[in-house]
Amino acid sequence: MRSDIYTLLPMATTVIGAFVMLLLSSSKSITLIRYHLITVAILLLSLALSLPLFGSGKSIYPLDNIFHQAFIVDDFSILFDIMFLGGAVLTLLVNTLYLKKRDYYNGEFYALFLFTIFGMMILAHSNDLIVAFIGLEVASLSIYALVGYHKNNPLSSEAMLKYMVLGAFVGSMFLLGSVMIYILVGSTNIADITSFIQNEGESNQLALTVAGTLLLITILFKVGAVPFHTWVLDVYEGSPFPITMFMASVFKISIFAIALRIYVAYFATGVLHGDVILSIVTIVTLIGGSLLAISQTKLKRVLAGSSIVHGGYMLIALSCIGLGSQLAVPAVMFYLLSYFISSVGAFGILSYLSADSKRALRYEDFKGFADKRPYLSAMMAIFMLSLSGFPSTIGFLGKFYIFTVAIESKQFILAALGIAVAFISIYYYFKLIAFMYFYSSPNTKKEKFKLSLSTSLIALMAILAILGGIGTSLIPMIPSADSLLGIASVASSSLGY
Amino acid sequence: MEKILTYIVFTPLLFAFVMGVFRVNIKILRFGAILSSIIVFVLTVTLIAYFDPYQNQIQFERSLPWIASYGIYYHIGVDVLSLVIISMTSLLIPILYIYMWQNSYSGYWYNMMLLQTGVMGAVVSLDLILFYMFWETMLLPVFIMIGRYGHDKNRFNAMKILLMTVFGSMAMLFSILYLGYEYFVVHSYWSFELNNLALLHFDPKTTLWLSAGFMFAFAIKIPLVGFHTWMAPAYSSAPTPALVILSAIMAKLGAYGIWRFGYGLFSETMSYYRPYIIIFAIIGMLYYAIRAMSERDLRRMFAFSSGSHLSVIVLGIIIANIYSWSGSLYFIATHALSSAGIFIMIGLIYRRVGSVDITTLGGIAKVAPKFAFIFAFFALSIVGLPSTGGFVAELLIIIGAFKSNMSLGFVTIFSMITAILYIFYTLQQTIYGPLTPKTQEFGDLTIGEILMLLPLVLLLLVSGIFPSAFIPALEPQLQHMLQIIGGIL
Repeated sequence: MRSDIYTLLPMATTVIGAFVMLLLSSSKSITLIRYHLITVAILLLSLALSLPLFGSGKSIYPLDNIFHQAFIVDDFSILFDIMFLGGAVLTLLVNTLYLKKRDYYNGEFYALFLFTIFGMMILAHSNDLIVAFIGLEVASLSIYALVGYHKNNPLSSEAMLKYMVLGAFVGSMFLLGSVMIYILVGSTNIADITSFIQNEGESNQLALTVAGTLLLITILFKVGAVPFHTWVLDVYEGSPFPITMFMASVFKISIFAIALRIYVAYFATGVLHGDVILSIVTIVTLIGGSLLAISQTKLKRVLAGSSIVHGGYMLIALSCIGLGSQLAVPAVMFYLLSYFISSVGAFGILSYLSADSKRALRYEDFKGFADKRPYLSAMMAIFMLSLSGFPSTIGFLGKFYIFTVAIESKQFILAALGIAVAFISIYYYFKLIAFMYFYSSPNTKKEKFKLSLSTSLIALMAILAILGGIGTSLIPMIPSADSLLGIASVASSSLGY
Repeated sequence: MEKILTYIVFTPLLFAFVMGVFRVNIKILRFGAILSSIIVFVLTVTLIAYFDPYQNQIQFERSLPWIASYGIYYHIGVDVLSLVIISMTSLLIPILYIYMWQNSYSGYWYNMMLLQTGVMGAVVSLDLILFYMFWETMLLPVFIMIGRYGHDKNRFNAMKILLMTVFGSMAMLFSILYLGYEYFVVHSYWSFELNNLALLHFDPKTTLWLSAGFMFAFAIKIPLVGFHTWMAPAYSSAPTPALVILSAIMAKLGAYGIWRFGYGLFSETMSYYRPYIIIFAIIGMLYYAIRAMSERDLRRMFAFSSGSHLSVIVLGIIIANIYSWSGSLYFIATHALSSAGIFIMIGLIYRRVGSVDITTLGGIAKVAPKFAFIFAFFALSIVGLPSTGGFVAELLIIIGAFKSNMSLGFVTIFSMITAILYIFYTLQQTIYGPLTPKTQEFGDLTIGEILMLLPLVLLLLVSGIFPSAFIPALEPQLQHMLQIIGGIL
């Protein structure tokens, strides 16, 4: 047996697990909590298999007699695998209570969930545009189904239809771009494309730029960048909480995985004006996202709008790749991690609170929350601070890296705009803190803090958000912000960047 | 010994954290808060005892790597500038705890402890990112205290102070990041340390907008006239302890920022800003004084009075000679004492009659002579009554102004004259005149309250009668700083 087959084991575990779940779901005798635990076990196994692979510094093309070089295992993709799997485990565990209280969740839900993870892993490992497309579609198709999982809720069905129609349409852009590139290059392998651009990029500048832009459009759509954002608010609102959380955090990470790989290989050479295109989109995204977020009253929609803005911050760093900053890619990855921690926490609290109610949570529902549930509201405040980029939280360091990268790449306008938008975001995040802390609760009955799986994980996220912000090399034994950036740098070096 | 500053900064935070996690009841919380403030006070006294004013450098320095890849250090240290603010903070906080002893909102106590850490941290930071962190963090407790425990449109005003101050800080953040980047360009490694960044040189245009980012943040914090719209609303709706910290400490941090970072980083550019800031400060000094005359709400009136005196402090800093600098530093301390005193007294009035509108007050001297006496003392110390510290400080600033420019000196005298106008009007309306229905039952100061205010009174007197005990200690380091920036004399 070839040794490189081990590198495929995490993916194999996930996809086999998905089929197992599909088979198990025909059984009527298994309770939801069992499905839940089996899925978590599969994901943890996969996570355990992928952890030792990280840090080898090598790029392996497993089974290259079958896949040629379409499929790559390097530090970059393994780090993303770890993020997906860890994120998926957290998403499931944080939402345990929510899922348990809904009777429409069953085995297929978990099968679809695992297929999504599988698709995202393909996406991260793809070294070929067609493989990337397959990964994207596997992940997206499962997500469409998950978004519409609550069949009796018209909002959910609307969200699914909207997302699916638009997503399928935009997905075809990716194919179109790949076809154009194939016509020019004669290959869809990313390494081939890079060498073609380096050698003959100048003479085919226009065609390559158009083709690359088509690829970017699909990516930007999935990220929710303005002007491809029209689906975001409705889909985030209509989806069940676990899925909203999943899309905002883990799925977004996977899109950035492929975005980074394509961008580094394709636009970073500098002849294709990728930075100009992306800068314009970034500016529009930052402004548009802020305007959307600031005008919402339902918290789910606020977070949806703010996720557009956070996508915009990452686009700042993405558009700086190839402009002279060594830390652009690690900055994006660090930001993904910081956004993941804070958004999982924030969505987790919302999901925990709405486990019992059917109504959408609004700002007003948090009046006097600090009196009723002091621990939860303290955590919520931490997540809001982190999302707004307030110093001493991980969100600040994420933004700090992004802005320094932008300044280092001489993208002063983007950096200044990013800071201005961070200022605007102070308003809608602090509004929630204000509602929680400024009003004393009408009924002074304190609800006891229940230490359950969900709440303890949310607490863990809150601790991470603080530690990531101030956790320093001063405190031994705790991975500091510094070492996180170091890990991201190791991963990004395998992109050849 | 080198860790003493770290303990001073983080003791309150540690206490707050431990007590918050265990959700202790209000009695233990109160005790813990007082204990933390006393520990900090004792540590500060030790710090002052071991501080050598004749050594021209930052002392008790401690520098540990924080985020090594970006050259961010946990770098703290004190010189005479920060020492003055540290000692004022550690003196005022225990007094405020005694003031709010009856207060049973636990959130109040937590926020005060966090505030103390934030303020102390900002003052000792010598790394710009560390400074920015504390600078922003100290806003959070103020935001919550105004919004939660304040009055009169407090929620709106809390949001206003937050947004305005953060807007300033964001401008500063951009400048900080650019400075770090420039250092990276020159040395090919990052650093955000003040000493390192101070060595950078820029072309005049760049340095102008870079320093503008800092100046903007500090101008809002002080606030200079034109950047002041948050001040009166925030002061009038803040609860008394937050109000005292706002006026006595946090406003001073803006002036401290100009001193430390304005002169520390952009000493050449400051000469360009000099005329503009002088104009701002003079307009502010007079404008705030006129506004103070027209206010009927005591909190708003003394908010404007505080703004007027801060303009004087800024004027002293920007004139930049040894008289004005030692005057400004001395004024930072004495104004902290007297404004803390007056705002605590106003808080006591509010506690007694539930109003601070001067039309509803009057005749306090008849029913509460002790109260009236101390109130008048603090009010007059704000004017600059000879034999209080404020007089010495203002006199030094005025001398400095004369030294620099004759007409500037004449204008600066107006700070004392205008203050007399509104302070005497206030005294007339509140403690003299006929009794009003609200002040009929006005209770005099209790022993506890007198003991609480006594340290402030004594310190104001000592600083006014024996300024020579303090000012010579301030001068050597200020002199040294002046030599570095190439100031006059």
